[in-house]
Amino acid sequence: MNLVSERLNVDDYEEAIELFYKRHWTDGLPVVLPTPRRVEALIEHVGRDPQESLGAIPPRGGEATLEKLAINAVMGGCQPEHFPVVLAAMEALLDPAHNLNGVSQTTHMCVSLIIVNGPIARELGFNSRDGVFGNGYRANAAVGRAVRLALWNLGGAFPWDTDKSTLSHPGEYAFCIAEEEEDNPWPPLHVERGCPPGSDAVTVFACEGPHSVFCYGTPEEMLHVLADSLQALGSNNIHVLGQTLVTLNPLNAEEFAKRGWSKQDVRMYLWEHARRPLAEVRACGVIHEQFRKMERDAGRYPLRYDLENPTTRLPVTASPEDIHIIVAGGRSYFAAVLPGWGGFGGFAVTRPIRRPR
Amino acid sequence: MEFLSPVWPAAAAVRPPNKRLQGIQGARIALVDDNLDTAFTTHLEALLTERAGAKVRRLVKPSGTAPSPRELIEEAAAGTDAAVVGIGL
Repeated sequence: MNLVSERLNVDDYEEAIELFYKRHWTDGLPVVLPTPRRVEALIEHVGRDPQESLGAIPPRGGEATLEKLAINAVMGGCQPEHFPVVLAAMEALLDPAHNLNGVSQTTHMCVSLIIVNGPIARELGFNSRDGVFGNGYRANAAVGRAVRLALWNLGGAFPWDTDKSTLSHPGEYAFCIAEEEEDNPWPPLHVERGCPPGSDAVTVFACEGPHSVFCYGTPEEMLHVLADSLQALGSNNIHVLGQTLVTLNPLNAEEFAKRGWSKQDVRMYLWEHARRPLAEVRACGVIHEQFRKMERDAGRYPLRYDLENPTTRLPVTASPEDIHIIVAGGRSYFAAVLPGWGGFGGFAVTRPIRRPR
Repeated sequence: MEFLSPVWPAAAAVRPPNKRLQGIQGARIALVDDNLDTAFTTHLEALLTERAGAKVRRLVKPSGTAPSPRELIEEAAAGTDAAVVGIGL
């Protein structure tokens, strides 16, 4: 196999691990050594040209060749069968609609969440149930970290340099989940977004970490608390719109479905009710108002919301479709909202996972 | 023990910067409005033209949080002495 990366030789394992730290080739955690044999196994699995590039990764613009992505995927703990998921995630991240350049460099704390859908999620052992945003599952951790290491080593988004996030996010190490599709009465996310039922896909969406929502009871009671959680004044959405993500647990979804609520019904209700009067939003201060005015001046804040009338009720997104809803987690009292970056970008992009022939 | 580098080699050569402007009076300046703070950019344009006597060509980026399209960069570079390419927020 024609691999072009520099080859390094060291005497032992400890020296190799320390070399990665010395050269800033790791995110702070130790890595699996990307030996030629391991790297070749990933590339052979997908059966593609190692020098094929998915594009330049911002901000530094390193080319995302399959070879370099495989090296970083091995470092993150991927096995060959994980690699197609990594490639689909990278394709989605590099779609201009996601604005990875902005996501990587903003002062905001958003990080691109990877959501895996389709039979491949169960086959590879991705967690979609209890503890879905947490640790303990190789597929979630390895794919999530593989992508973050590629953004680190090829994109050059370093916190002391181009990554300007002032607080950042634990998901900078790995931020990958699967949607629960078996214990779910509704069509999964990727099908809603145009993929065929039964297909495999990855969706990326830049967002904050999960905010807990104590969500239990009748549909109306659950919607009441979800709507309140979405309209938090500390999140960007209420100020500058954009997109947001709601994660309902399977019990929540079952309760909605039993009472005849479709996912679209839930989405419409939340869009209409997760609102605040302009007067309350204005009370946050002048800088929030300035951002809102900037978005209005740039044509990104719809004119139908009167920004001079204190009784205007501001939504959290410009349209209902900008509220993404997935089902994941344990059957319990808890749901989550994951606010986005606002109207600046990080928007959801979905890409199919290409299985090897 | 052999392994592969996860990064690309650093760029071998960095282009030296252009000569600094001697003054703003009469200079041809591309002002790239990064579409974040229109009012501020308009104010800056007025300062450059009315107070400093520059000849300003204002170009608008589609998004303040994404890189400028190459065509816009080339347009800013063509026939100008300097460019203001963004504002900090």
